[in-house]
Amino acid sequence: MTKILLGLFSGIAFGFVIQRIGATNAGKMARAHLMIEPDIPRFMLAAVVLSAAGLLGLTAAGVGKTMVLPTSIVATGLAAIIFGIGWGLAGYCPGTTWAAAGEGRMDAVFALLGGFAGAAVFAQLHEFLIPLLYDPTNVGQLTLADWTKSRGAAVAALAVVFSVCIYFIGKLWHRQPDNG
Amino acid sequence: MQQSSEHSAYWKWIPASFALAGIIVFIFATFGPPASSSGFVSTLKGFFQVVAPGYAASKTHYQIIPGPGSWLFAFVVGMAIGGFVAGRTFPVPTRDVPRIWEQRFGSSRRRRYAATFAGGFLILFGARLAGGCTLGLFISGSTQLAISGLYFGVLIFAFAMITARVVYGPVRKETIE
Repeated sequence: MTKILLGLFSGIAFGFVIQRIGATNAGKMARAHLMIEPDIPRFMLAAVVLSAAGLLGLTAAGVGKTMVLPTSIVATGLAAIIFGIGWGLAGYCPGTTWAAAGEGRMDAVFALLGGFAGAAVFAQLHEFLIPLLYDPTNVGQLTLADWTKSRGAAVAALAVVFSVCIYFIGKLWHRQPDNG
Repeated sequence: MQQSSEHSAYWKWIPASFALAGIIVFIFATFGPPASSSGFVSTLKGFFQVVAPGYAASKTHYQIIPGPGSWLFAFVVGMAIGGFVAGRTFPVPTRDVPRIWEQRFGSSRRRRYAATFAGGFLILFGARLAGGCTLGLFISGSTQLAISGLYFGVLIFAFAMITARVVYGPVRKETIE
C-alpha cells in the first residue's frame, strides 16, 4: 500500500512539473525538436545533472536503490532510432502521453492507445527479438564511473558535458524570425 | 497578447529543473530508478490477467514486469492525475491538434490522431526493446551515469530532430513567431 501511495504521489508531482515546463504540449515539443524553443531540452539536461548530484549524496548516505540497465550496441541503438522517429512524429514520449492525456489532449489519448499496441506487440515478440537483437551485443551494465574510478569525478564530467550542451542549445535554438 | 500570456504561464527552465530533480531524487530514495514505459506493460499485464490469464503467464515480458498494484502502475496513473490537475490550473487552453501541426497538415483530427497513434506505437516498441524510455532509460540511466542511458539519449534526440524536420518541413517565419 505504501508503494502505491508513493508511486501515485511521485507520479502526480512529476506529471504536474512536466506540464508546467510545456513537455505535455506536443506543439512545444515539436518546436524544441525543430530548434525553435530551447527550454524543454535545457530543462531535461539540467534535471539529469542535478539528479546525478543528488543521487551521489543518496548513495553516500546509503539511501535508495539504483539499477543500471545494460547497453546492447544493436538493440539499444536500434530501439533509440525507432523511439526517436516516434517522438519526432507525435511529439510525445511514454511519460508525457499519460500526463497529456490527463490534461485532456485527445491526440495524446491516441498516442497512449498506440503505445499500448506497441508494447503488446513487443511483448508478443520478446522471446524472438531479445536473443536476436539484444543479447549478442550486450556489453553489460557499463557506467562512466568504470573509467573515472570515482563516482564523484564521473558526475563532474557529466555536469561539464551537459552544461556545454545546455549552453549551445541556448545559443543555437532561437525564437527570433530573423535568425532563421 | 496570447503569446505573452503563454510565455509567462510556463515555468522557467532552471527552477523547473530543480523541481524535477527533487522529485527524481525522492523517487530514487523511496523506490529506485523512475520509469514510465514499464507502466504500459504493467497495465497490459493486468488486462491480460483478466481476459487471457494463460497468455499473460506464458510471456516473458509480462513475467518480468509487475502488474497493477505495483509502484510502476501507480506512477503512470499519478502522471495522468498530475497532468489533469496541472491542466485545470493553467490559463492556456489545450488543443487536440497542435498549431504547428495544423499549419502543415490542416485541422483534420483523424490525420493527427493516426499520426500520434503511430508515434505512440513506435516509442513504446522502441522503449520496450531498449528496456526504458526518455525517463526510464535516458533520465534514470544518465543520472546513474549509465552508458546505456547516454547512448540512448544521444540517438533519440538526433532522430527526433531529423524526423521533426521531415514531418514539418523547412522552418518558416510563422512557425517561429
